[in-house]
Amino acid sequence: MKVNPQSFFNFCANHAALLRGMAERGGEISEAETMRLIRANPSVVEELPETAWRRLRELQILVPTEPGSELLTMAPQVSALLTYLYNEANPATPEMIRGCVLSLETTGKRLARALDEDDVQQVKLAFEDISLPLRRIHADLNETQHAILAEVARYKTERARVSVREKYQRIVHWMERYVEPMIEVVRADGQLRAAFDETERLLHRAREEALFNDHPALVRNLRFLRLVGAHALRVFTQCRKEIQPLYESLRRSSFIAEGAARALEKLQAEGLSKWGNEYLIGVAAFRFQNVPSDAAIALALRRVIEHPPEPPPVLELAAEKENPGALVRLMWLDSLPDLVREDLPVEDLMGWLVDKYPERNTSDVLAGFSGLLFHNDFQAAFADEKPHAYNTTDGEIEASPLTLISA
Amino acid sequence: MNELPHLEKIFDRLKRGCHLGPDDEPEFSALSSPRFDEYAAYFAALGLTLVRHEREFFYFEPDNQEDVPITLPRIAVFSYIIIDYAANQGRPIEEFIFGQNFLITALPHFTLDRYTALLRQVDVHNVEDLRTLLNRMEQIGWVKIKGLGEDEFRFLRPFHRVFSKCLEVAQSSQAAPPDASQPAAT
Repeated sequence: MKVNPQSFFNFCANHAALLRGMAERGGEISEAETMRLIRANPSVVEELPETAWRRLRELQILVPTEPGSELLTMAPQVSALLTYLYNEANPATPEMIRGCVLSLETTGKRLARALDEDDVQQVKLAFEDISLPLRRIHADLNETQHAILAEVARYKTERARVSVREKYQRIVHWMERYVEPMIEVVRADGQLRAAFDETERLLHRAREEALFNDHPALVRNLRFLRLVGAHALRVFTQCRKEIQPLYESLRRSSFIAEGAARALEKLQAEGLSKWGNEYLIGVAAFRFQNVPSDAAIALALRRVIEHPPEPPPVLELAAEKENPGALVRLMWLDSLPDLVREDLPVEDLMGWLVDKYPERNTSDVLAGFSGLLFHNDFQAAFADEKPHAYNTTDGEIEASPLTLISA
Repeated sequence: MNELPHLEKIFDRLKRGCHLGPDDEPEFSALSSPRFDEYAAYFAALGLTLVRHEREFFYFEPDNQEDVPITLPRIAVFSYIIIDYAANQGRPIEEFIFGQNFLITALPHFTLDRYTALLRQVDVHNVEDLRTLLNRMEQIGWVKIKGLGEDEFRFLRPFHRVFSKCLEVAQSSQAAPPDASQPAAT
C-alpha cells in the first residue's frame, strides 16, 4: 500500500518526539506500550491518542512483526530515516561488508564475462552496478566508525553505575564483533582489497579493449574504488586506536576487580584461618634472633597486670632484746677453726669439744666436729683405740678418738 | 665500587618494609639511577633481594614468613575492599585509586554489611581502626597521610603491589582446572 508523502511528513512533523521515543526504544512494541509512548510524547496539535495510534499504522510507520501479529515494529525505512535525521549511526557488521564485497565480486565476474564476449551492453550494466556496492561499503564504514566513536565517548562519560566487569564485557563485544573481524576484511591482504584489485584490473581492461567509452565514468569508478579501499583500512585502524586503550584499561581493571573479588569471596566463605598467605601482599621485615617476641612481651605484661595484689612484707626494724640463737650458733661454728688451731695437735677432737663446750648439745657438738673434720686447714685421723663415750647436755655420743693436726 | 649515595638511609627504610617511590626523595632518585644494579648487588651480598617493580618503585623482597603479622591480612582486606568498591562503581580502578584524595571518614569500608563482616574477621571494627591501619600503610610507603588535610590521605605508587596480587589471583584462578571448590566467575 502506497503512503501519501504529504500525510506522512505532516504526521512526522507533529510527532517528532514520539517517533524518536519509539526509535530509541527499538524492538517489538505492543499496543499498550505504544499508547503509553503516545501519551508521554503528545502531538504538537490537539489529537486523541487513539488517532495517533491509528495513523501510525495507516502510514506504515509501525508494521506487524509478522502477518496477523499483534506486536508491531518500526518500519526499517522509517528507522533509517530517523537515524539519518538525528545523525545517529548503526554499526555495520562484518557480514554486511562481506555481502557488499561478494556483490562486487559477482559484478566483477559479470564484467569479465562481458569483456570476454565483447558484450558492450553487459559491460555498461556491470559498470553501473559496480558503483552501488562501493557506495554501500563507503556509507557502512562511515556509519560504523561513527557508531564506535559514539560508543567510546559514551563509556568515557557514562555516569550510570555499571560495574567494571560489565563494561569490559561490552567493550569486548564491540572489539570482537565489529572491530577485529572488520579489520580482517579490510586489511591490505584481506577479502576487500582482493575484490577491489580484481575490479580495478577489469576496469583497466575495459578501457584498454575500448569496450567502454564513458571515460569519466571509468575514472570515477576507479577513483571511488581507490578511495573506498584506503578509507576502509584507515577507518578501522582509527577505530582500533580509539577503542584499544579503553579495551586494555577495562581489561586490566576487570582482572584486578576479579582478583580482589575472589580474595574477598574466599575470606567470606572460609574465614581468616583458611584464607592462607596466597592473598596477602608480603612486606619485608627484619627478624632479630633471641629477642623476646611481641607475644612473649604481651604475656609478661599480662601476667604483671593480672597478678593479684598483696601487701608488701613488713620488716622489724627495732633491736631485738634476746640474742638470736641461730646466729649465735653460726658464729660459734665459724670461730671453732681459730680456737682449735691454738690447741693443735688435738689427740681426741670429740673430747676436746665436749670438755671445752660442756653447755653444747649433741647437735652442736656433731656440727662442730664435722666442720673441723672437713676443714681445709686440718688433717684428721682416727686413733686405733676402743670407742669412748662422751656426755653432752642432752645425751651421750660414742665414738673412736680422732686426732686433728695442721694440714 | 664507589660509595653508593644514601645507602644507609635506603637500607634503613627498606629493612623496615618500606617501599620507595617518587615521593621518597632523595632515596628514590638514587635507586632509579643507572647504579641500581650496584645497589642490588650490594644488598644481594647480604642475602637481601632488592626488587624494582615494573611501575618503578623499590622494595625488599619479603621472606616467606610462617608467622604472618596480623597487619598483613588487615592491609589486604582493606585494599581488596576499596578495589571491589571501585569496580562496582564502574570506574577504571587505577584511575579511581590514584586519581583522588580520600577522606578516612568517607571510605566505603563500613557502608556495606558484607565489608563490615570481612573487616571484623581481621579485627578492624571502626574508623579508628582504619586510621591505625592507614598509619601502618604510610610507614610502608603505600599511602600518604601527613601533609594533607585533616582525615585525608592518598594512595602512593607502591599500592600497585596490590594490583599485581589481584592480577596474580585472577590469572591463577583462570589457570586452575574447573573444580567444585572454585568460586564461580563474577
